[in-house]
Amino acid sequence: MVETTLGPRLRGDDERGGGRVVSRRVREWQWIGLLLLAPALALIALLFMLPLGISIVTAFEAPGGGFTLAHFAKAWDFYHTDFWFTIGLTLLSTALIALGSIAIAGYLTLGENPAAQAVLRWLYRWPLFIPFIVTAQVMRGFLAKNGLMNHALIATGLIEPLQAQSFLDWRGIVIAFVWKQTPFVALMLAGAMASLDASTIEAARNLGARRLRTLIEIVLPQVMPSLLVGLILSFVTMLSVLSVPIMLSGDSPTMLTVDIAYRINSHRDYGVANALGTISCVMAGLVAWFYLRQGVAQARA
Amino acid sequence: MKRLLSVTAVTAVAAACGLAGMFHSTCVVAQTTLNVVTAGDQNMVDYVNNFLGPRFEKLNPGVKVRAVGTGPGDAGSQKIQEKLEAQSKAGAAAWDVDVAVVHQRGAANMVKGNLLAAYRNDIAAGKLVSRDTAKNALGQNVDGYVLPMFHSQIALAYNSDLVKAPPKDYAQLADWTKKNPKQFGYNGVKGGMSGVGFVMGWVNANSSIGPKLETGPYDPAQKAQIEKALVSLKEFNKNVVLTPGNAGTLDMLNRGEIAMGPVWVDMFYTWMADGKMNPKVRLSLLSPGLPGQPMYYVVPAKAANAALAKKFVDFAESPEIQAEGIVKQFNWYPGIDPQYVQPKMDAASWNKLFTDIPPNDLSKYGRPFPLSEYFTDILESYEKVVTN
Repeated sequence: MVETTLGPRLRGDDERGGGRVVSRRVREWQWIGLLLLAPALALIALLFMLPLGISIVTAFEAPGGGFTLAHFAKAWDFYHTDFWFTIGLTLLSTALIALGSIAIAGYLTLGENPAAQAVLRWLYRWPLFIPFIVTAQVMRGFLAKNGLMNHALIATGLIEPLQAQSFLDWRGIVIAFVWKQTPFVALMLAGAMASLDASTIEAARNLGARRLRTLIEIVLPQVMPSLLVGLILSFVTMLSVLSVPIMLSGDSPTMLTVDIAYRINSHRDYGVANALGTISCVMAGLVAWFYLRQGVAQARA
Repeated sequence: MKRLLSVTAVTAVAAACGLAGMFHSTCVVAQTTLNVVTAGDQNMVDYVNNFLGPRFEKLNPGVKVRAVGTGPGDAGSQKIQEKLEAQSKAGAAAWDVDVAVVHQRGAANMVKGNLLAAYRNDIAAGKLVSRDTAKNALGQNVDGYVLPMFHSQIALAYNSDLVKAPPKDYAQLADWTKKNPKQFGYNGVKGGMSGVGFVMGWVNANSSIGPKLETGPYDPAQKAQIEKALVSLKEFNKNVVLTPGNAGTLDMLNRGEIAMGPVWVDMFYTWMADGKMNPKVRLSLLSPGLPGQPMYYVVPAKAANAALAKKFVDFAESPEIQAEGIVKQFNWYPGIDPQYVQPKMDAASWNKLFTDIPPNDLSKYGRPFPLSEYFTDILESYEKVVTN
C-alpha cells in the first residue's frame, strides 16, 4: 500500500523486484510445504497404496508366479450368487436409508411441533455413535425368533406367538445397515435443508402447498447433491462391513466380505480373497467415480 | 530427544514400581518373560492368564508368563504360523514365541515348514500322552513335536423336553428334520468348527469313503464321492436352520428356537456351569461319529526361552494341572492319558464330563477330522454343491 504514494518509475521497479522476492519465497514455501506433507504422503503410499497394489497384483498371480485369471474364475464360480446378493442387499439398504433420512430431515425442517422436533433431533443421532459390531450384537438378540422384538409384538397382540419368525438372515442385515446409516445421511441432509433459503419454502406454503409436496417438489431438488453424497458414502461403507453379516446371518448367500474372510481364515487362499477384494474395489470405485463427478459438477456450479 | 525419552521411561518405571510398592512393599522386576501365544477362543487366553500362568510364576520366581491370543479357529493358528515363518525368513536367531498353542491343521503345517522343535522326549510329561493325535495330525506325522493340551469333541445337543429319543445316526436325523422342519440348526462351514465338524461327519456317514477320509491315502478322484454326499446335505439343509456361529447354535437352543444342533462339548459344559444354558439341554453322539480335535502345545524351533518353554509345558501337562485346570475348571477332556488324571480328582467332577456321553461312546463315535487334503476338498465342495 505504501508503493502507491511513490512515483510511477520507482513503483514499477519496486514491483518487479518485490515480485521476484515474493515468487522466490513462494517457491521456498512450496518446498517446505511439500516437505511437511512428505511424511503423510509416504505413510499413505507405504501403508495404503502399496498393500492395495500388492493385493491387486496377487489377485492375478498364479501360485508359481506369472499371470492368471484362475482366481477370478474360481471367485466367480463359487461366489457369483454372493456377488449379486451383496449388490442387491446394499442397494436395497441404500434405498431404505434414503427414505428414512428424507423423512427425518424433512420433519426437522418442515415440522410444526417444536417439542417433537427437539425429541427427534436428540434421538436420531444415537446410532451414529454405535460401532457396526455392537449394532450386530444388539440386533442378534433383538431380531431372533424368540427375541425382544417378537416378544414385544406378541405382548402388544400385534402377532400371534406362532407367527413369530427369526429375522436373522438377509433381513437382519438390511435392518442393521439401515438403522446404523440412516442418521449419517439424515445429519448431512438436515444440515443442507437448514441452510436453504427459507423463502422458497415459505412461498410454497403460502401458496397452499402441503408439507409433503413442499418437501418433494421444493426442498428435495435443492438438496439432492447432499443426499446423493450421503448415500454414496453409505453404500461404500456398507459394502465393506464384515461384522454385521458374519454375526447376524449364518445363511447363504452371504456378503462378499464374509467370503473374503473365510478364504483367508480357513483356506489361506489369498489369491481368491484378493480377487474378491478387487471385485469389491471395482464396485466401490464405480460409485466413488460417481461421487467425484458429483463433486466436480458442484464445484463448477 | 533420546535423553528425554529415556528419562521418561525411567520415570515411568519408577512410577510403576512406586505404585506396585504401595501394594507389595517391594518392587521386583521380572527377569524373564515367557511368551505364550495361543490360538482359539478367549477361554484359551483366560486359561493361561488366570490359571496356568500364576501357578507357574509362583514356582519360578523371576518369570513372567505373558499370554497373547490370536483368535478362534484355524485362522488363529495360521497367524502364529505366519509370524514364525516371517521370523524364520528374516533369519532371526531367537524367535519371540516361546510356547504356542495351535490346532491340528496349524501344527501339521508348522511341522511341514520346519518351524517347530521336537521336544516331547525332552520332558517327563511326554510319556503320559497316549492318544494317536500326539503322533498324527490330519495325516501329517507330528510325532515328537506336539503335546495335546486337551481334547474336545463335537456332539449333538438336544432339548430333552422336546426330543425324547435323540436320533442315533445321520439317517435318523434326516428323517427327524423332515418331520420337524426348522428344528435342527447348525452353523454352516463359514461360522465356526462345530458346523464344519457336522459337515465332515455327514460326508463320513453318507459316502463309501469314510475310513479313507481319516487314514488316507489321499486320492483327489474321491471328490466325486464327496460331492455326491453333499448333494444329500443340500436336500437336508432345506429342513434346517443355519445359525450364526458356534455360540449362535447354543443361543438358539437356549431361546427354544431350535431343538437340536451340533456344539462343542467344552463350550456346552462351560455355559452350563455358568448358568447360561437351559439345563434341559443334553448331549449325545451320532453314529458313525462326529469329529473332535486336540489343541497342541508346541515349542518353536528357535524359541528365545526354549528351556523355560519346555518346563512350562511339562508343568501344564502334569496330572494335577490337567485334573484341576483342564477337566475341572475348563471342562475339556484331558490331553494326557485319562488314567493319570482320574486319580487326581474327585469322582463328581470327573463324572460330570461323562454324564451324557459315556467313555465308551466317546471312543466309539468320537472321530478325528479328515486328512487336511480331504478337509479342504469337503469345504470347497460344500461351497460348490450346497451353497450355490
